[in-house]
Amino acid sequence: MAKDGTVFLIDDDDAVRDSLGWLLRTRRLLSVPYPSADKFWTEAQRWQEGPASPCCALLDLRMPGMSGLALFELLREQPWFAQMPVIFLSGHADVPTAVDAVLRGAFDFCEKPFSDNALVTRIERALERSAEALALRQRQRELQQRIAGLTEREQAVMQLIAAGLANKLVADQLQISVRTVEVHRARIFEKMGVKSVVELVRLLHQD
Amino acid sequence: MKFSLGAGRWWLWSALCALLLVLLGALVFLARAYEDSRRTEELERTATELVAEIKAKLNQNVQAMLALHGALPDDSSWQREVSTLLLENREILRVEWRDRDLQLQQAQASPFHPFLFDKLPRSQFQPDVQQACANARRFSGPAYSTSYFLPQQEGRGQELLEMCHLLPGGEGYMVLTYGLSDLLAERIGRSTRGSLSVALTESDGTRLAIAGRLTRQHDTLHAVQLLELPGSAYTLRVEQERETAGIRPKALSSTLALLALALAGVLALLAYDVRKRLRTEARLAEALAFRKAMEDSLRTGLRARDMKGRITYVNPAFCQLVGLPAEQLIGTSNPAPYWPPERAGEYLQRQSVRHAGQLQPRQGFESEYIRPDGSRFPVLIVEAPLIDAQGRQTGWMSAALDLSAQRKIEEQSRASQERLAATARLAMAGELASLISHELNQPLAAISSYANGSLNLLQDTEQDGQAMLPDLREAMQRIADQAERAGRVIRSVSDLVRRRERERSAVPAQVLFDGIAPLVQLQARKTGIEVHWRVEPGCPAACCDATMVEQVLLNLVRNGLQAMPEGHPSAASGLRSLELCASAAPPQEGSGRQWVAFTITDHGQGLSDEVAARLFTPFFTTKSEGMGLGLSLCRTVVEQHGGALDHAAATPRGTVFRFTLPAAL
Repeated sequence: MAKDGTVFLIDDDDAVRDSLGWLLRTRRLLSVPYPSADKFWTEAQRWQEGPASPCCALLDLRMPGMSGLALFELLREQPWFAQMPVIFLSGHADVPTAVDAVLRGAFDFCEKPFSDNALVTRIERALERSAEALALRQRQRELQQRIAGLTEREQAVMQLIAAGLANKLVADQLQISVRTVEVHRARIFEKMGVKSVVELVRLLHQD
Repeated sequence: MKFSLGAGRWWLWSALCALLLVLLGALVFLARAYEDSRRTEELERTATELVAEIKAKLNQNVQAMLALHGALPDDSSWQREVSTLLLENREILRVEWRDRDLQLQQAQASPFHPFLFDKLPRSQFQPDVQQACANARRFSGPAYSTSYFLPQQEGRGQELLEMCHLLPGGEGYMVLTYGLSDLLAERIGRSTRGSLSVALTESDGTRLAIAGRLTRQHDTLHAVQLLELPGSAYTLRVEQERETAGIRPKALSSTLALLALALAGVLALLAYDVRKRLRTEARLAEALAFRKAMEDSLRTGLRARDMKGRITYVNPAFCQLVGLPAEQLIGTSNPAPYWPPERAGEYLQRQSVRHAGQLQPRQGFESEYIRPDGSRFPVLIVEAPLIDAQGRQTGWMSAALDLSAQRKIEEQSRASQERLAATARLAMAGELASLISHELNQPLAAISSYANGSLNLLQDTEQDGQAMLPDLREAMQRIADQAERAGRVIRSVSDLVRRRERERSAVPAQVLFDGIAPLVQLQARKTGIEVHWRVEPGCPAACCDATMVEQVLLNLVRNGLQAMPEGHPSAASGLRSLELCASAAPPQEGSGRQWVAFTITDHGQGLSDEVAARLFTPFFTTKSEGMGLGLSLCRTVVEQHGGALDHAAATPRGTVFRFTLPAAL
C-alpha cells in the first residue's frame, strides 16, 4: 500500500534517480523523477494553489543547466513553499553550501553517499511536515469562507467582540441598540460554528 | 699634523738667513782686512822704493853736479852743461855756483821755472843756503837745508830745498835748489803709481809737498817712510784710496757678492722645494687620511696578504667580521685563525691553486669563516693581486663580504616559494580528489540505494517471496552495473597517470643531479651538511620522466637532510654529510635490461622498526608539517617506471634509500 505523499526526485544522474525511486518504492513511497531542475520548474509553475497532496523534493545541488540552488531560490518565492519541504543531496565538497541552504529554509540536506534508510526516514518526516502545512492551509481557507459568509455589519460586530468589548460598549460604538448587538452575536456564533467568544477568538487567531 | 708650514719653522729659516748674513759679512770684512794689509804692505814697499829712488836721484844729481865741476862757472860749456842738467831733471829748479863766502858766482834757473824768485829776492833765503853749506862743510859732502816755503803768484807757492855741495879744493859751493813737489811729481809721474798720492811731511806732520792724485776722502790706506837726507829729514807718506785700490779687491768682493747671491738663490730654491715638499706631504697625508676613513667606513672586510700568505693589513670591517682585533690578525700565517679547523686543508689547497697563477674569477668565491665564539658564517671573497710601484706582485688584496643576511633572505624566499608550491600542489590535489570523489559518489550512492532497497524488500514480511524475486534480480543487476561504472572512473584516473609514461626519455644521472643541486645546496648549507654527488663511471643514462624522478630524488634528499638536524650528528663527528650516488645495477633475472641504481645515504638516527614498517603507507608521517604522501608517491613513481624503492640501515649510522630505474637502451 502506497503511503500518502509524493517525492519529487530531481537529479541529473539516472542511476541515482532510479535507485532512489526503487528504494522509496520498497518503503512504499511514491516518487516522481525529474532529470533536471528546469523540467521540474516547468511542472511546478502549473500549480496554481500549490500541491494538492503532501509532497517533498529531493534536490541535487550539482546539476547541469539550472542548479539545485537556483531552483531552490525560485521555490522560495512561491506562496506554497512551506507545503513542499526541500531536502538537498550533496557531495562532501558542497556541505557548506547545503548548510547555508538549510539556514535559508531548506528542510534538510543529505551527504552522498547517504545512509539510505536514514534518508527515507527524513523524507517521511518532510512529508508529515507537508501534510501539516496542507492541513493548516485547508483550515485557513475554511475560515476565510466562513468570514466571507458574514454580512458587513456582522463582521464589524465580530471584530469588536473579538477585541473583548461587552455588548453595551459595542452598541455604543456602533450606535445601535444592545438588542441588535445580541441578535448579530447569535448569528455570528452560528455562522462561524462556535459557542463562545473564547472559541471565536481561538478560531480567528489559530495561526 | 707633523708636516705644518707654520710657526714652528719660520725661526729656523730666519736663523739660517741671519747666520748666512753674518758669515758673508765676516767674509767680506776679513777679505777686506786681508786686502788692506796686503795693500798696505805694497804701499810700504812703494814708499821704501820711492825713498830709495829719491835718494838715488839726489845722489845721481850730486854726481851730475860733480861732473859739472870740471868746467869753470863762467865757461859757456858749464852753462850748456847746466842747461842740459836742468832740462833733464825737472826737480832741480836752480843751480848756483857760489864762492867760498857763499857769494853767487854763477846761477841758472830751470827753464820750467824761469821766474822763481821774482816775487821774493833770492837773498831772502840766504840763511837756508848758509845752513845747507854749513852742513856740507861739516859732512864734507853734499848736504841739505831745511825746506822753506817760497810764495809765488796767485797765492800759490812751493816748498823748496837747498842742497849744497862743497867743491873740491874748497873753492866754492855748488847749490841746487830742489822743488819738493817736482821731486815727488817726477817720481810719481814716471811710474805706474798713478793712483797713489805721495806727500812729504815734516816730522811734526806738516805736509810740505804732495804729488799724484789728491784724495779728499778719509777712507785711505797709507804708508810712511822716513827720508833722511844729510842735514834734513822728512817723512814720506804714500796714500791710496781704497776704492781705487785696483781691480783685484773688486773681483773678490763681487765674487763674494755673487756667491752670496747664488747662496741666497739656492736657499730660496731650497725653501721653495721644502715648501713644495711639505705641500705634497700634506696632500699625501690628506689622501692617506681619506683612504683610511674610506677603509674604516667600508662595511666590506679588506685584507692584504703577502706572497707567503701572511696577513699584512686588515680594515676594521674585517676585524668585526671575524671577531678578532687587528693585532691578533696581522702577521698571522696559514692556517688563518678564522678558518674552520676541519676545512683548513681545503682552503690551503685553494690558496696554492690561486698562487700558482690561476686568476680568480672577478665574481670571487664563497667560503666559510668561523669566529672565536664558534659561530660560522658564509663570506664572498674577491681577490686581486697587489702590484707595487716596480710592477712586481707583492701579495693579494681580498675583499670579504658577509653573506649571512643574503643567505637568510635566499632561504626565506625559497621557503616561501616552496610553501607556495606545496599549497598549489595541495589545492590541485584537493580539486582532483573532489572531482574523483564526486564521480565515485554517484555510483556508490546508487549501489547503496539498491542494496538498502533490496534489504527493505527482504525484511518486508508482508511480501510474497516469489513475487519480489524479479525486483531483487533487477536491483542486483543494477548494483553490478553501478559497480562497473565506479571501476571505469578509477580506470580513467590511472589512465591519466599512465599517459605520462610517453614522456620518458634518456636522462643522464648527472642531469638529474644538476636539476636539484641548487635547491639541495641551499637547504644543506642551512644546517651545515655537506652534500657529495657521485656518478660512478660507466653509469648509463636512465630512461625516465626527468621531472618526476627529480621530485623523487628531491623528496629522498630532503628526508635525508631533515634526518640530520643541527647537532645530530655533531659537526665534530665528521658525519654531517649526505651522499648521492648513481651507478650501474646488474640486470634482473630473466631480463637482459640494464638498470641504474640511485642511493641516497644520510647519517641521521636511522629508522625504528615501527616507522620502517609503515614507511610507504600513504598519509603516514613522522613530521609535524608533512602530509605523509612523499615516500608513497616516490614509490609509486619508481614502480611506474618499473623500478623498485627500498631502504636499509647505513654504516655507521643513518639510512640508505635505494631505487632503480631502467637504463636507456
